[in-house]
Amino acid sequence: MVASSGASFKSGGVRRKAAKKGLIFTIMIVGSSGSGKSTFVNTLCESPVILRKDHLDAEKAAVLKTVNITPTTIEMDEDGLKLSLTVVDTPGFGDNINNEPAFADILEYIEHQYEEILSQESRIKRNPRFQDNRVHILLYFVQPTGHGLREMDIEFMRTLGPRVNVIPVISKADSMTPQELNAFKKKVMEDISHYKIPIYDFPYDEDEDDEETIEENTELRGLLPFSVIGSEDEIILNGRRVRCRQYPWGIVEVDNSKHCDFSKLRYMLLSSHLHDVKDITHDVLYESWRTEKLSKEGHHDDDEEEVIIDG
Amino acid sequence: MAPGPVGATNVSVGIANLPNQRHKIVSRKGTNFTVMVVGESGLGKTTFINTLFTTLMREYKRPEHRFNKQMDRTVAIDVVRADIEEKGFNVRLTVIDTPGFGDYANNQDCWVPVIKFIDDQHQLVMNHETLPNRKIDDLRVHVCLYFIQPTGHTLKPLDIEVMKQLSSRVNLIPVIAKADTITPAEMLAFKERIRDCISTHDIQVYSPAVHSDDEETTRRNTSTLAAMPFSIISSENDVVVNGQNVRGRQYIWGVAEVENENHCDFKKLRNLLIRTHMHDLISTTHDSHYEAYRVSKLTAEGRTDNDPAISARRNFEAKMKEEEGALRKRFAEQVKVEENRFRQWEQKLISERDRLNEDLDKQHTLVKQLEEELEEIIAARKR
Repeated sequence: MVASSGASFKSGGVRRKAAKKGLIFTIMIVGSSGSGKSTFVNTLCESPVILRKDHLDAEKAAVLKTVNITPTTIEMDEDGLKLSLTVVDTPGFGDNINNEPAFADILEYIEHQYEEILSQESRIKRNPRFQDNRVHILLYFVQPTGHGLREMDIEFMRTLGPRVNVIPVISKADSMTPQELNAFKKKVMEDISHYKIPIYDFPYDEDEDDEETIEENTELRGLLPFSVIGSEDEIILNGRRVRCRQYPWGIVEVDNSKHCDFSKLRYMLLSSHLHDVKDITHDVLYESWRTEKLSKEGHHDDDEEEVIIDG
Repeated sequence: MAPGPVGATNVSVGIANLPNQRHKIVSRKGTNFTVMVVGESGLGKTTFINTLFTTLMREYKRPEHRFNKQMDRTVAIDVVRADIEEKGFNVRLTVIDTPGFGDYANNQDCWVPVIKFIDDQHQLVMNHETLPNRKIDDLRVHVCLYFIQPTGHTLKPLDIEVMKQLSSRVNLIPVIAKADTITPAEMLAFKERIRDCISTHDIQVYSPAVHSDDEETTRRNTSTLAAMPFSIISSENDVVVNGQNVRGRQYIWGVAEVENENHCDFKKLRNLLIRTHMHDLISTTHDSHYEAYRVSKLTAEGRTDNDPAISARRNFEAKMKEEEGALRKRFAEQVKVEENRFRQWEQKLISERDRLNEDLDKQHTLVKQLEEELEEIIAARKR
């Protein structure tokens, strides 16, 4: 399966190394049912990765749903670069009358991956074939209400932000006019700063990074939260194949950056910022979790004078 | 010519004019119409209300103030009133909004304030029925519009639960909000699934009578009914399309028009609410929902009759009878006691009399004896 939208890494050495081994990248998708997650994933991967039909059943509509965390891995080729992309879907999130229990389920999944890494690291004989399943980025789908973040959004991102890179995404962006979209993005970012919600906001170092990087990151930061439109349908428009949604009043193009930020998001996820995100996951998020976890056990250690053997 | 029915005359009595008369009466008095909108925030409820009545009924929430209430976790009931006039016809319009509904991570029982409000209005009217002054501010909800999120899938558990509770108390009309997110093909499938869900879970949505004497009306009613749940797009702004000013939303890729029936069902819904079925909504609220509330309330209180006055009187009478019976019994008992006393006294007197009589007899006998003895003695002396 060949993916489009080329991208090049800054250092050729990394590229050569990665091309041999193949990169691993894990994205988790979180949002209420019907917010366009599956369509987004299928649009991103350019193939029908997620097919779920049981959520359309009338009888089951009233039934309490638990979050069903399902990872799916696909092999992609980004400009000659092999990418093993794992998409973790979370159907059932946000669908119930009470959605608070779902937060814990997702957090547990993420922390479980960290625990696996920790136990691997502490082994005397490490497993060379061990798979790193840590979630590198979590895309949180925000409803296009026009009013700012909802209580659930704030609580969720606050809970998950310290453990994983969170990027808020406005789904079904074709329900807002350009002015509404800009106003909404502004409100969301105001909420994020007001409630001190930790998100991945394209950090850069004024002193260390080069100008190009700073410019790129500033631009991407200004686009937050990304507006996306998803579609698996294609039509021929002006002689070229275009992924789009057809309304009686016009045609919305997925890859047109004037219509939505999908193409920029895709580029950022799978090409330009893939390594940055992975690095932060390992160097910052995993480390802080590890410190917390070990200092808790260490404390326990002092009290009980026990030796904890890992593995 | 066959004889007509008894009482028929050839002179027009003006019965055919009754509908017109009613119209004249109503248009002079004006009418009271209460609409409630229920749904998560950001679904376009405020915009819809403002579009429907072409007036700024509700101000938008000030975005700077949202920090005060975002994490509040409450559901409020907002009442907004306006007097609207069109072509001499007055409507005292009340719009009830439910900010906070369904907006939180945990929405358990978020429908309780809404249900309580509806029931309270029925209760108020019920309380005032028996008072001398029956004129009150009637805030009974005539129609409730439930806004469904345009997910494209099916109803959510919250939707099902709330609609079930609402449909038994008020005229419920589900609408699909922000319909410009859904393509026509998706919309057909979505509506189908929603209708399926509604019938599976036994939700009684408002369904007006379709058949009417006028064929045009019947046709219109059928097409209206077939379009439920109504998809709506709302806008307070006008956009120029083909040289004309229309209500719509301007996108980069085109203009979604509010009043274009190919784009959404706004027109159908507006006609139903304001032109054709306002009266029906008001009367069914009184005739069926209010009555149902009364029956359930009164049977819950243990009454078996529908009319409170008669049953009250009956209760009162029953009580009186009971007390009367008790009194009578007490009286009878007292009488018995007294009678007994008298009887005993009588007995005593009788036995006393007998005794005295006996004594008297004895004395008599003694006297007689003595007399006889005396006579004997006198006779003996004489010889």
